Amino acid sequence: MSEQKSFDIVLTGVGGQGIVMLSNALGNACANADIRVLTGELHGLSQRSGTVYIHLRMGGESISPLIPYGEADAILAMEPMESLRYIEFLKDEGIIILNKRVINPPLEIAELSKEKRTDFVTFENIVEKLKVVTPNIAPIDALALAMEAGNPRTENAVFIGAMSALANLPPSVEDMKIGLETVVPKKALEQNIKAFELGYKTAYDGLCDLVQCREL
Amino acid sequence: MTLDSVINTEPGKGFVMCNEAMVRGAIEADVKVVSFYPGAPTSEILDTFNSAQKYFDYKFSVATNEKVALETVAGASMGGFRALTAMKSVGLNVASDAFFSLGYTGIKGGLVLVVADDPHCHSSQSEEDGRLFGPNAYIPMLEPSNPAESREMVKAAFEISEKYGTIVLIRTTTRVNHQSGIITTGPIERKPFEKSQWAEVGKPYFTVGEIARQNKLNLLKKVKAMGEDFESSTFNIVTPGEGDVGIVASGVSYCYAVDACKKLGIKPHILKLGTTYPLPRKKIIEFLKPLKIVTAVEELSPYLEHNLKTIAKDTGLELTVFGKDSGHFSEAEEYNVPIVYKGIASALELKTTKDYESVLERAAGLKSILPERIPVFCAGCPHRATFWALKQAIRGRKIVFNNDIGCYSMAFFPPLNFSDSMLAMGASLGVSAGMSQVLKDDIICMVGDSTFFHAALPGLVNAVYHDRNITLFVLDNEVTAMTGQQTHPGTPQDRGMPQGKKKIIIEDVCKGIGVENITILDSYDVKNNVKPIKEALDHKGPSVVISRRSCALHGDRIKRRNKIPIVPNEVDKNACKKPHTCIRDFHCPAITFDTDDRASHIKSDICDGCGVCAKICPFGVIHPVGSESKTEEVEK
Ligand SMILES: Cc1ncc(C[n+]2csc(CCOP(=O)(O)OP(=O)(O)O)c2C)c(N)n1
Repeated sequence: MSEQKSFDIVLTGVGGQGIVMLSNALGNACANADIRVLTGELHGLSQRSGTVYIHLRMGGESISPLIPYGEADAILAMEPMESLRYIEFLKDEGIIILNKRVINPPLEIAELSKEKRTDFVTFENIVEKLKVVTPNIAPIDALALAMEAGNPRTENAVFIGAMSALANLPPSVEDMKIGLETVVPKKALEQNIKAFELGYKTAYDGLCDLVQCREL
Repeated sequence: MTLDSVINTEPGKGFVMCNEAMVRGAIEADVKVVSFYPGAPTSEILDTFNSAQKYFDYKFSVATNEKVALETVAGASMGGFRALTAMKSVGLNVASDAFFSLGYTGIKGGLVLVVADDPHCHSSQSEEDGRLFGPNAYIPMLEPSNPAESREMVKAAFEISEKYGTIVLIRTTTRVNHQSGIITTGPIERKPFEKSQWAEVGKPYFTVGEIARQNKLNLLKKVKAMGEDFESSTFNIVTPGEGDVGIVASGVSYCYAVDACKKLGIKPHILKLGTTYPLPRKKIIEFLKPLKIVTAVEELSPYLEHNLKTIAKDTGLELTVFGKDSGHFSEAEEYNVPIVYKGIASALELKTTKDYESVLERAAGLKSILPERIPVFCAGCPHRATFWALKQAIRGRKIVFNNDIGCYSMAFFPPLNFSDSMLAMGASLGVSAGMSQVLKDDIICMVGDSTFFHAALPGLVNAVYHDRNITLFVLDNEVTAMTGQQTHPGTPQDRGMPQGKKKIIIEDVCKGIGVENITILDSYDVKNNVKPIKEALDHKGPSVVISRRSCALHGDRIKRRNKIPIVPNEVDKNACKKPHTCIRDFHCPAITFDTDDRASHIKSDICDGCGVCAKICPFGVIHPVGSESKTEEVEK
């Protein structure tokens, strides 16, 4: 393997959203293209609804499974609050690709209920804080696109597609597609590829105005 | 990963987790018997061996606990076969009685034990340092840093094990087990499984008195020979640097040290130790000789540091050893590049350019708006229902609640904040026995079904024998849920999962032991469960309440497989009087409320239709989706 450009990314979301699958798709995309890759994963326990994160490091020379604070090139958050939860890892002006759909934790819901309040943390509240670190924030309505692809569970494929547009990403769009194909069950392949394509396209309606993307 | 990287018989490349790489290594080494009890961060080793068993002829089993798992693979090894087990650090505490003896008796077929420590207590009760098991039991120990080494070391461990007739430890930490990367695999060439005959392979495995004393002397000889062997081990790697400063590290700390030095712009000599017991003494002396300063980078106890000091002193080296004793590193917490960067910089008095602290500070400020996302019971989790009924039943009573290890441990966290103790698997019974002798309160203890078989049985026998006035809850959710829904002796046989041949029935076990007061509940039948729980608490002497319902994750998977529809519930928004009974103190991840009118709302993609919220709703406005319209139709 020759000298490779590096790309460090924090993948995050809520248990049950398929973050591990997302990471496996990226890992296989790299493996397939002979690009160095390593991850540090926090699987947590098996309950759903907890916070999940995976550090994924492509190319480059670092050998630590965890990205140092302030050095990730991007955060990809399948749940927007979780992008803020791990914001210390992002470098200034780094890229944040995040889902629009906030999943308020049960604890927040219960607290507000007790105090008869309704002021949930909103997507806008989160973005306002993220902006202190970077202007490069690309929201994606992943659920809508996943539904369009015919399967609400393909949100993660939407994200893989969107990320594939990034010019600095070591694996090519084709590698990424192969990575996805390697990890999704056969019967859901078609929907996942559709979700991937939709995600890829949607990147050019937002993300690519902010950061450099590949030629369409 | 894909299972393919583990089972493909041709050599190739694959993206795998260290846990999977170890399985691959073992399969390449022709392992024939594996047995485990699950525990993070090693559970994927069990799960991968489980998934791959249909492709190979090794014998796989989930044991009732780690001690039985170790003894199982020890027996296979005595019979001449290669065998492996893996467990978390606290698991080795359970297995350690057999482990120490095995060191003395020696083994026959290659025997490997993977033990995973958990700095930061991500999923464990303590930051135990499993490395101390090596020298304490005179058992050799290898420490991988990444997936490639994980595979290679497991293979090498089998060779070492057979060469010296000793069990071999592979010691990891969470950040090793759960690290993925690309490995190059070797060929899989396996001999067909054929049983052996004791007369041909057997020898005595016995250790007591004079024999034990002799065993010990042999053990010391073995360790000496292995130490010499490890002098030339390719797992101990020197990366020459500049000047008279060095670093000694192992495991994932080595990775952090390498990256941190790059960031500091320094090139110290680095010794990466892969054989951390016995240490390659001569190699270390050789490495230390030209140095003035050496820094030990290791998580948890100053194990390498103290060894370096001893070696330096014995050899008369004029060397300063930095590490934890010198205050540059902590014995607590999990390391990362910033921590190691700071530690090395302060030890070597280097100027730093990276200000990781201000990054953290800014982030902390930004994050202050975030509500915590602590672990909660899943949608449909029967434990939530059991706790609801239990909390009703104890109203007005003075009780102590001794919790145990499993998903139900989470009662400790908000919203329940309900637990007075939680020590170790099965411990709630012993603790309760002690408390029942000194406290006036009603004493309640609780175990899961897996914990019941793992370590609660001796405690229950003890409670019956001494007629302790305690109430034991057994939460029977059919699987070992918290570690990934593995099977256990009480798992029903119709689950299409590879498992043992006979289901052990918990109430029969209790009866057999002599428990006279046994109550069996359907966890979901919340309201009707309150009274029987009260009666069990009133009973004088030991009583057992078995609360039974499948783990929601497991149950839903079975439903999907059998094409049984999962019908979520919905709130009749217009009828909802907003008492939020389904929200407060219930904390189901599927239930929230609408901001416009504060009516409760159920997220249909998360709800698994357990219907417990419908049962506790004081106004009865929660129904399965579509059920109301159906009744209307019937009426028409
Ligand atoms: C000695 C030991 N072995 C393994 C573990 C890992 N562990 C944590 S929770 C748990 C599950 C226990 O299952 P069960 O009691 O049935 O409870 P459930 O999670 O199903 O509610 C296990 C095995 C541990 N903490 N200690």
